[in-house]
Amino acid sequence: MNVFLRPNLARCLWVAPLTALIVMCLTLALRHLFGMTPIFDSEQMITVGYLGGVIGFLIGIGAFDTWFPWMLGAAERPDDHSAHGARSWRDYFRFNTDHMVIGVQYIATTLILFLVAGMFAEIFRAELAHPGQDFITTSAYNGLMSQHGIIMLLGFLIPIFAGIGNFVIPLMLGAPDMAFPRLNALSFWLLPLAGLIFLSAFLVGSFESGWTAYPPFSTRGPMGETIFELGVQIGGASSIATAVNFLVTIITMRAPGMTLFRMPLLVWANLATSALVVAATPFIAGSQFMNMFDRVIGTPFFEPDLGGNTLAYQHVFWFYSHPAVYIMVLPGFGIISEVISVMARKPIFGYRAIAFSSAGIAILGFSVWAHHMFASGMEPWLRVPMMITTMLIAIPTGIKIFSWLGTLWQGVLQMTTAMLFATGFIFTFVIGGVTGIWLASVPFTYHVHDTYFVVAHFHYVLFGGSVMTVFAGLYFWYPKVFGRHMSESLGRLHFWSTFIFTNLTFFPMHWLGLEGMPRRVADYDPSYANWNLFISISAFCLGAGMLLFVYNLLHSARHGKPSGSNPFGAMTLEWLVSSPPPIFNFDVPPRIVGGPYGYGIEGARHAMFPEPAPAETREQAHA
Amino acid sequence: MSAHAEHDHHGPAEYTYQPHPFGLGAVPLGLVIFLASEIALFGSFFLYYAHSRTILEYEWPQPGFHIPADATSINTAILVASSFTCEMVLLAIAKARRSAAIAWMVLTILLGSVFLGLQAIEYQTIGFLPTTNAMGATFFSLTGLHGAHVFLGLLLLTFCLIRLVRGHFSKERMTGLVVIGIYWHFVDVVWVILFTVVYLLPTHVI
Repeated sequence: MNVFLRPNLARCLWVAPLTALIVMCLTLALRHLFGMTPIFDSEQMITVGYLGGVIGFLIGIGAFDTWFPWMLGAAERPDDHSAHGARSWRDYFRFNTDHMVIGVQYIATTLILFLVAGMFAEIFRAELAHPGQDFITTSAYNGLMSQHGIIMLLGFLIPIFAGIGNFVIPLMLGAPDMAFPRLNALSFWLLPLAGLIFLSAFLVGSFESGWTAYPPFSTRGPMGETIFELGVQIGGASSIATAVNFLVTIITMRAPGMTLFRMPLLVWANLATSALVVAATPFIAGSQFMNMFDRVIGTPFFEPDLGGNTLAYQHVFWFYSHPAVYIMVLPGFGIISEVISVMARKPIFGYRAIAFSSAGIAILGFSVWAHHMFASGMEPWLRVPMMITTMLIAIPTGIKIFSWLGTLWQGVLQMTTAMLFATGFIFTFVIGGVTGIWLASVPFTYHVHDTYFVVAHFHYVLFGGSVMTVFAGLYFWYPKVFGRHMSESLGRLHFWSTFIFTNLTFFPMHWLGLEGMPRRVADYDPSYANWNLFISISAFCLGAGMLLFVYNLLHSARHGKPSGSNPFGAMTLEWLVSSPPPIFNFDVPPRIVGGPYGYGIEGARHAMFPEPAPAETREQAHA
Repeated sequence: MSAHAEHDHHGPAEYTYQPHPFGLGAVPLGLVIFLASEIALFGSFFLYYAHSRTILEYEWPQPGFHIPADATSINTAILVASSFTCEMVLLAIAKARRSAAIAWMVLTILLGSVFLGLQAIEYQTIGFLPTTNAMGATFFSLTGLHGAHVFLGLLLLTFCLIRLVRGHFSKERMTGLVVIGIYWHFVDVVWVILFTVVYLLPTHVI
């Protein structure tokens, strides 16, 4: 069949524009029918055009090739699994239903978005190196800053954990794949679309309201705001679909004997995260729907003259976006638990405490949202309860930190790159956590609200926290994906440059914030100049360190040291199959006979395979 | 390993090693989890509504406007009835009465369509627009979001009707119907809540 007719990216090239065009014409026809003037409304056109394009892209890539015939009552076809597994690099650009391929697709896409958004940060740090307007306009600064925020959060941190989870979790559970492989592929392909949608906003004037998109900035801003709202919807849909998939997989597809308390802690973390995503993400969808209706239809949700209220937006938005910060870090906690236990050669300290603290964070996370609004003029009686719950949430987090330290205590530490990142994470995350407690207290927040202190705080928890865990996870599971190690010497260099320059970049921001330098500004008082120059130089070095990582990542896939199936002597299931794992993971379901962290315990076993040995079965099956 | 006679045979083969909560198959379980996120989506608009009415003490309905609870209560009855007829489809299939199942399904689709039609008439006669004020925006977005769900449900029911006519469902293979049934009941329950909150709670109650 012609390349433009088969389900692939080439088919997207014509189906997506065509669908967009059809939907736009339909909208024009409807406006004409209802006698609306003028017939052409650019905000509406861009909205329906993008949505049509997204649907067309999904049709083109082949997301609905099975579902459409089913809907229309075609006879059921047994799945031939032809869309499963990757035989060449081309298979990574298809609608692939294999959880390992999707995991790699996720990680590659998110890392590209990470580099793009990091680049934006370097550009506006260059602008901020010196007071006064140097080479980008304030509008361009706002655009870059907003893109940096939303792409890092929705395009990198949330989905990369979905990517790592996608690769690892079915293996850890002893399952052949995720529960809904087609839904899994669909939710992946929404992600590059969300990234492209955000970036395309530059064509019409990027959104400039930060990643929070508070009205009236968002309702009265340039057309990029509408595109921002669409991107959030697409990215949110992707993350909800993945979360549903993870939950069903974890609940129903654990191998025989895998009780809840024999699950690795990454699975626990993902369980809590997925529950959070399902319950919280629709609130950002709702808040962006309201924003979009205000812009596209002209509803007065946030127009005070007509009874609207902008604080309502902040309530709805933060009802998602505070739980979202736990969505961005809980899977990272899971990764750290895995890495630390394996590398310290000790059973994890306080397994159940860590597992329940994830659940505790997920539940408490819903009761703290208004701490973002202490200075907003919100109802005063909400402040103190929110302050108390916010401080309470430090307890489950502290339990985790102490459990990790307890695991490290008297362990036989193997300081691999993954372990360096894990220990570095504990250091930086604690700093971010402590400033979090400060910010939770109302009087202190009044002083530093919307200053660089807040920027320092959340970069310590998100960059020093989540991104470090991402690196720990990538270095740790890289041998499982490619069967080769990443270079340890480059990895160490990458770690030390990241660790040092993270602190040099973000720590001085605390002082700037305490002195009152506001965030989200393209220019500042010359008295802040010295530290800003210092921060910018550190930020450039931090960015340069990332190039090492990219080189290491790409180069080691071909030329890395072969690792064998279980280089770190780990016990969890993913290490008991070959590297890279065979298609469908296990030919016979493994039997789980003990906890996942029995390191250093005589005779401890997590899993065993019923005879014959899995390697032989695999050869027979795929001969 | 749990025995699941009623697996969905359209999707990929299901590997289930663990007993399912409430005896739900993987697909219904996934749907129930998804519906939890739908509750949150409606919840975000309810949150806006609740914020307006409690903290801002926003008058509902706004002076000079009327939200017709009486007429819409008939519509509510129609939608609730469609939930029962939808359940009758499942019962009929379980007793292997295909023509009865088709009749109940057609009736369900008809009731759902009548609901949407009456809703459209209400939109035209209600006397305010989404752009009129915050009440209009909240009213139309809540009822509109629900209407979109009813519309999607009608599409799904139609797909099921096609398969029903072709005889694809049997007592052993009715996951598709079970899933649509759960979804349709959900849409119904959301409407009952929505009707109570938006139509029946006048200003002096809160």
